[in-house]
Amino acid sequence: MHPFHWNEAWRLFRAHRGLALTSVVSLTAALTLCGLFLVLDHNVRQALRALGDRREMIVYLKDGVRESERTVLEDKLRQYFGEPTYVSPKEAWARFSEQIADRELLQGVDTNPLPASYHIRLKPELLSYTAMQQSAEQIEGFDEVDAVRFGGEYVRQLDELSGGVRLATWAIGAIVVFAIVLVLYNTLRLTVLARRSQVEILLRLGASDRFIATPYVIEAMLQTSIAALVALLAAFMLRQTVGMRLHDLSFLPWTSAVGFVVAAVAVSWAAAQAALARILRTIGS
Amino acid sequence: MISFEHVTKRYGERLALDDVSWRMDEGECVVVLGHSAAGKTTMLRLLTHETQPTSGVVTVGSFRSGRLGRTHRALLRRTIGVVYEDFRLLADRTVFENVAIALHIAGHFEDADVTPKVRRALQEVGLEAHRDLLPAELSYGERQRCAIARAIVNRPALILADEPTGALEPRSAQEILALLLRIHREGAALLVGTTRAEVAEAIGGRRLVLADGRLTETNGASPDAKAYMPPASSGDPAPPAGGTTPVASVTTAATAAPAVADAPAAAAPTPPPAPVAPATPTSPDAPGQPDLFTNPGGGS
Repeated sequence: MHPFHWNEAWRLFRAHRGLALTSVVSLTAALTLCGLFLVLDHNVRQALRALGDRREMIVYLKDGVRESERTVLEDKLRQYFGEPTYVSPKEAWARFSEQIADRELLQGVDTNPLPASYHIRLKPELLSYTAMQQSAEQIEGFDEVDAVRFGGEYVRQLDELSGGVRLATWAIGAIVVFAIVLVLYNTLRLTVLARRSQVEILLRLGASDRFIATPYVIEAMLQTSIAALVALLAAFMLRQTVGMRLHDLSFLPWTSAVGFVVAAVAVSWAAAQAALARILRTIGS
Repeated sequence: MISFEHVTKRYGERLALDDVSWRMDEGECVVVLGHSAAGKTTMLRLLTHETQPTSGVVTVGSFRSGRLGRTHRALLRRTIGVVYEDFRLLADRTVFENVAIALHIAGHFEDADVTPKVRRALQEVGLEAHRDLLPAELSYGERQRCAIARAIVNRPALILADEPTGALEPRSAQEILALLLRIHREGAALLVGTTRAEVAEAIGGRRLVLADGRLTETNGASPDAKAYMPPASSGDPAPPAGGTTPVASVTTAATAAPAVADAPAAAAPTPPPAPVAPATPTSPDAPGQPDLFTNPGGGS
């Protein structure tokens, strides 16, 4: 792309400042909505990840499992499922006792009824409900294991919430892409039609569609860049304002912010190319 | 270079050209003379592929009508210099930029390449002193000279001029015709469409007479030429007194009277004419000024 095309884009911008400003404002509105949702999505994911870190699976052992058998089981659990921590019946009773305020009730129990168990911090890839369910079934198949608990309903709800947020983010993203295409198509159409006579002269002089379209595409990409940066700034300021009350609310990491701008510009490039190809075909032979 | 083979063009029910056949050779000068709506502009639009024949074949170099895509159409137009009656200049660009745009379209962007070519073209039409003016700041004659500079800056092998003096008063018209003739003498083929017999006589060359879409070819002065003279009230700016102001006394620009008020730069020293030659052939997808006769993409 030669500097000539950038100069032409600047000439277009100066000649149609009103249209350019309208386009930037419209794009900013759409991208701000998208940016806010990305921030929300980011924070929900972070919260879910924190909750997911606390997900664990409890494997209750049968009575009378020997030390050697337990060691073999522990190795298998570590190899396939995650990091196991052994809790003896005595430790289990101690933990239980701490949670029960009624001492008389505890004194009424003659013997420790709690079994030995393993608390497994699962591997990250096993943290979904489906994977945990499958893992539990496999672990229950071991001879030394009496039962497995992992709070299935709780995990299922977390997964559904996570999936819902992801779906909403994609939906908002799709709407924003559509909005970008719509805004750019109409702005470019108005700009090109405003310069129709000049475009016709260029076509008659032998200018290729690419030659004519390039400055418009550059202008569309610049407008979208500006709109994306303003949208990020707006989302950041909102986060700062709301963050006064919600201390855990965080902004997008810089990689996501850069990705947001790059993605918006890429969409604008594709939208402008497609729009101009269509518009120039309607203008003339 | 150009051939029309049994070309018919209809716009709906209206017949613009009726089974027209003719050809034009490299370096030749041809004037198409005809009254308004006779089909001259349609003929020129067929040459630049702004429209397609209803039947028949139009060939320009190796470009044939019918199956040219947008890319090849653009390539064809870069091989031809076109001068329009209404100049078709870009209003928001200076004279220099208007001429340079033709080079940019052909893929030349570097100042070291563009500036000398534009300066030479402006010198040839006597407009170098006005290089920084906008078209609105020029007289009609100067605007047409600017359009001619744009048409010749790529050194095309063919210049098409559609009523090049239609918007000009007689003195400017003389200068424009002299300029076109000089460009032709330097080697470019010249095809002029006009309603004015005096323009045809001034240009000379071979004459094609179009009437109601039909073609009559004549050589030399046409006995019917006065039939195409515009009436005094035709609306042309400053019509010639009595309608017969002789334009035939046109001289080349090198000897044109420098005292013409409308053309202050006409007396500016003109460099030796550069030979008009086809540029290096390029691929249809690449920018540049292709050879009218060797481009493979236009044939079908």
